[in-house]
Amino acid sequence: MNDFKINNNSKIDSGFKIPEDYFGNFSEKVLMKINTPEPKVISIFHKRKTWLSSVAAVLIISLSITLYTKIAVKSMEEKLTLENYITNQSEISQYDLVTLLDTKDIDKIKIDLKLDDTKIEEVLTNSSEIENYLTE
Amino acid sequence: MEEKEFIQNLLNPKTQNEAFQKLLLDYQKPLYNHIRNIVLNHDDTDDVLQNTFVKVFQNLKKFKGESKLFSWMYRIATNEAITFINKKAKKNGTTSEFLQTKIVENLKADSHFDGDAIQIKLQKAIVNLPEKQQLVFKMRYFEEIKYEEMSQVLGTSVGALKASYHHAVKKIEIFMIKD
Repeated sequence: MNDFKINNNSKIDSGFKIPEDYFGNFSEKVLMKINTPEPKVISIFHKRKTWLSSVAAVLIISLSITLYTKIAVKSMEEKLTLENYITNQSEISQYDLVTLLDTKDIDKIKIDLKLDDTKIEEVLTNSSEIENYLTE
Repeated sequence: MEEKEFIQNLLNPKTQNEAFQKLLLDYQKPLYNHIRNIVLNHDDTDDVLQNTFVKVFQNLKKFKGESKLFSWMYRIATNEAITFINKKAKKNGTTSEFLQTKIVENLKADSHFDGDAIQIKLQKAIVNLPEKQQLVFKMRYFEEIKYEEMSQVLGTSVGALKASYHHAVKKIEIFMIKD
């Protein structure tokens, strides 16, 4: 073929054939498809995402509980050791401890007691050690 | 019947069924040819054509009559066909260009294709063109759609469509004289 002009040559058909009777039941096929509700598509990725998040949440919670209890137990143990050491081993006296307290600490250990003046007097007069305290 | 009246019948629940049947009868063949020219094999065309009409029916309420029914339906069909070949290519782990080339190479074995050597060569020439030029050439040459109508379907200016067709024709003519 030396020369080919698409608009001068006789028209070339696409060559595609439509099967016989294809359009015979085409309308019914379409109408059936329209009247059949499409099944709801739930994305597998979305499902997996929720599943993964719940697994992650359970893992985080269980890990944090374990860690928290470990830390709490450890700090309790440390407190006890320190207390035992102070009471039994060290040479720190109560007076030394008192000097270490600042106003905030004192406020914390303050107990709000509403005592009657007559009652205090009564206790003081009945106590035999009162004089010792007073001299001290 | 005027198009406006026909659209009203399509939207009215009382006349909808009858009007939609008419729409199917009027458009099934031209839309089949349009889709077949894009997706190339019959079974895929059947799927896309059914989906096109289902989509047309579902979106009738949204059709505001700003464009012609013809261009609106052709636009839906074109989008459905292009989306279909892209999805099919993705499913096969390849490109739509490669997939289309493979189909054209095997056209001889297709029971729904009865073209001769020249027709096969023309299909091979078309599949080598860029996507837009392929579409413009097929719509103008095989389907004989006017540029003005094509412009409404594809949202491209008439001038740009003419230029696309001209480029496509030149490339096809060169391909056709090659051995």
